[in-house]
Amino acid sequence: MPATAPVRPPEVLHLSLVLGAALRDADGTRLGRVDDLIVRLGGAGYPPITGFLATIAGRRSYVPAERVAAMAPGSVTLTKAKLDLRPFARRPDEVLLRHDVLDHQLINVEGARLVRANEVELARLDGWWRVVGVDTGARGGLRRLLPKALAGRIGTGDFVDWASLEPFSGEVPAMRLRVLHPKLARLHPAQIADLVEAASHGEGEEIMRALGSDEELEADVFEELDSRHQLEFVEERSDAEVAALLSRMAPDDAADLLAELVDERREAVIDLLPSGARRKVRALMGFDPAEAGGLMSPDFVSVYRQASVADALERVRRSRLPDEILATVWVMDARHRFLGTVALAALVRADPEAGVVDLEVQHVPHLRPDADFEEIARLMADYNLIAAAVVDDEERMIGVVTVDDVLEVLLPKGWRRRFGLLGED
Amino acid sequence: MRLQVRGRLRSRRSRVIVLLGLLGPGLIAANAGNDAGGIATYSEVGAKYGYTLLWAMVLITVSLALVQRSAARMGTVTGKGLAELIRERYGIRWSAFATLCVLVANFGICISDFVGVGAALGLAGVPAQVSVPIAAIGIWLVIVRGSYRSAERVFIWLTIPFFAYPVAAILAHPDWGEVGHALVQPQIHTSSTFLLLFVAMAGTTITPYMQLYLQSAVVERGANLDDLQNESREAVGGAIFADLIAAFIIIATGATLYVSGIHSIGSAADAAKALEPLAGQYAELLFGIGLLGASLLAAAILPIATSYVVAESLGYEKGIGRRTEEAPVFVGLITAMIVISGIVAMVPGVPVIALLIGVQVVNGLLLPINLFFVWRLARDEELMGEHRNRGPVDWVTALTVAITSTLSLILVAVTVLGL
Repeated sequence: MPATAPVRPPEVLHLSLVLGAALRDADGTRLGRVDDLIVRLGGAGYPPITGFLATIAGRRSYVPAERVAAMAPGSVTLTKAKLDLRPFARRPDEVLLRHDVLDHQLINVEGARLVRANEVELARLDGWWRVVGVDTGARGGLRRLLPKALAGRIGTGDFVDWASLEPFSGEVPAMRLRVLHPKLARLHPAQIADLVEAASHGEGEEIMRALGSDEELEADVFEELDSRHQLEFVEERSDAEVAALLSRMAPDDAADLLAELVDERREAVIDLLPSGARRKVRALMGFDPAEAGGLMSPDFVSVYRQASVADALERVRRSRLPDEILATVWVMDARHRFLGTVALAALVRADPEAGVVDLEVQHVPHLRPDADFEEIARLMADYNLIAAAVVDDEERMIGVVTVDDVLEVLLPKGWRRRFGLLGED
Repeated sequence: MRLQVRGRLRSRRSRVIVLLGLLGPGLIAANAGNDAGGIATYSEVGAKYGYTLLWAMVLITVSLALVQRSAARMGTVTGKGLAELIRERYGIRWSAFATLCVLVANFGICISDFVGVGAALGLAGVPAQVSVPIAAIGIWLVIVRGSYRSAERVFIWLTIPFFAYPVAAILAHPDWGEVGHALVQPQIHTSSTFLLLFVAMAGTTITPYMQLYLQSAVVERGANLDDLQNESREAVGGAIFADLIAAFIIIATGATLYVSGIHSIGSAADAAKALEPLAGQYAELLFGIGLLGASLLAAAILPIATSYVVAESLGYEKGIGRRTEEAPVFVGLITAMIVISGIVAMVPGVPVIALLIGVQVVNGLLLPINLFFVWRLARDEELMGEHRNRGPVDWVTALTVAITSTLSLILVAVTVLGL
């Protein structure tokens, strides 16, 4: 042994070696058995262990973490102070490591995947035992399959730091994720939607409930969900909540979702929409969904031919539309007839004082509302368009079909689905 | 997809799905019991004991229907697979044990189904060394590279020749009074052969992988509480349908082989004789086509179901739509299972029927372990809430577990003691 102890990295303690361990008093007398560990979530950093559930003299008891002097593989030792046993009542921000985390799925924000905790790793940091991460690899699982004597020798496998993990609260869905966790907010709405689709009913609900506090994000995620999940969550909400959600979604996605509802519910929800959204949605629902009219977004940024580049840029700046729709600015005459397009990149590069008319691309082909997928796809491919205008009988522009709308439809069946036992329906 | 569902189109789509639902996982799962091993076992039962074991079929059907219903309901309510639930409720040790049992049992069935493929094409003179590799490669390509859904439809069509059994049973003019009597009057023989066949019959009809497959399939389908009744009904309907076919196999062989003094089936050709009242000289052809279809269906579903179970309980990426690089363990296990089963099935001179029945016995032995978990989980209030199994349903499920466990233990004792 060296004379001076080197600075050692915090030692990792495997949860599986603590569960079932002997609970001893300060003299080493065995009092009972450790059943579960309680951690408090919600704060910054690694969540601290706040208490233990133990079986003492045949009774389930709660031992606060302050009463524990030492924790090691196979034994948990209490301090000298008198132990008063209390029944355990779970607080909203607490989870049980064995009951809720070990062997359960967690969200790994890194890569937006669901992982299963084969082992939970603990460490003593800042004078407190904390959860530092989970093991998702084979070693964590193997350790728990082996007899205790061998288990201690197995090291950590695929360690995932708690900083990128978000647990589910399990069977008590009302308890956690009520406030959107910053970890989830790091994900793209499409990634969150993928997670919801991959998770079980309860877990998916938990994620959606957590999104409730950020209404914009909730609407973005909803747009990305498949219709089955959309309907599932819509069924649990009141008409007013659904209307509020729909008004934040892109009108074409909102119309798609409305079309899935039963007739009475659909009318009730449409009546609750703000007038602008109601008008757009009603107009969209009048078109065949398999044609340009049903596929288009009725929102886009347009300018008159007399406008300057600065005017056009200002309109883009003020707009709250999604980026993909703003990539093209549409040029119209005073009677709203479609004349041509200007790419956003062209506007950015041009002299702000110049007129839009100098940049305008004319004779751009456009679509009728009854154009079918094939026609739309061929037009966009032939002319290298990322967006195409849809015009009515009087050549007035009524909407825009963007390339992502078309891709979604044309994607081969097998590609769309990420996994499945049954394949595509 | 989403585009076809706006407005009026939706109601039409729902109806189509209900129709397809009749050919859904409930039917496939239960009907998989009528694969190569199932046909061999039922034929042997019919040849050896005539109709006398039909009463057992009734009991087995009740058990199967309840167990399948429980699995479908668990998948619908929780949105989780059976292996996943075992892991979350009982920890990794129990789930690893259950997974190991399923792995052993499924490997056996997978081998027996490739043997079935070899035997079916053997009737047409194609040696197993030719037919099995082709079938194995074909199945691998369909699962890993192709569209499983379309292949599944082909397989279902291939099993239609099995409807020949009810027709053959009727044309063979069985003594219906005797059949009716056998259905309600339990008759027990005190011989180890009888016990063996009894366990094999339970093992092939209520196979653990059926519950695992059904529950995972229900989850994959995205069933939610609205579908609870439909899913339950489909699971029960599938069980009853599959067992009706099984009963007719016993009746058909009982009315032909048993009465003409053939009490043991040595080969596929023997088993095919049960179809002679219907097909005459084409009995072998009809039998061969049906056996081929049933074997291919099971040989394709088994590796998938097994990989699902292993992935669920060990926490690996799963899914057949994924490429090898994305889910290496999942795809690797499917590949290994097909390759090894195929190779074993090609061993020349393998005693086909004996092997098929032997596998069903192993299945019967491992059955209580999975059934126990189905029983415990389906009655769990925290998990299933108001949809948990209660009252008679719970009791009968418990009784099924008790009876299959007892039978398994007796069989082990008989085998070990050499009685």
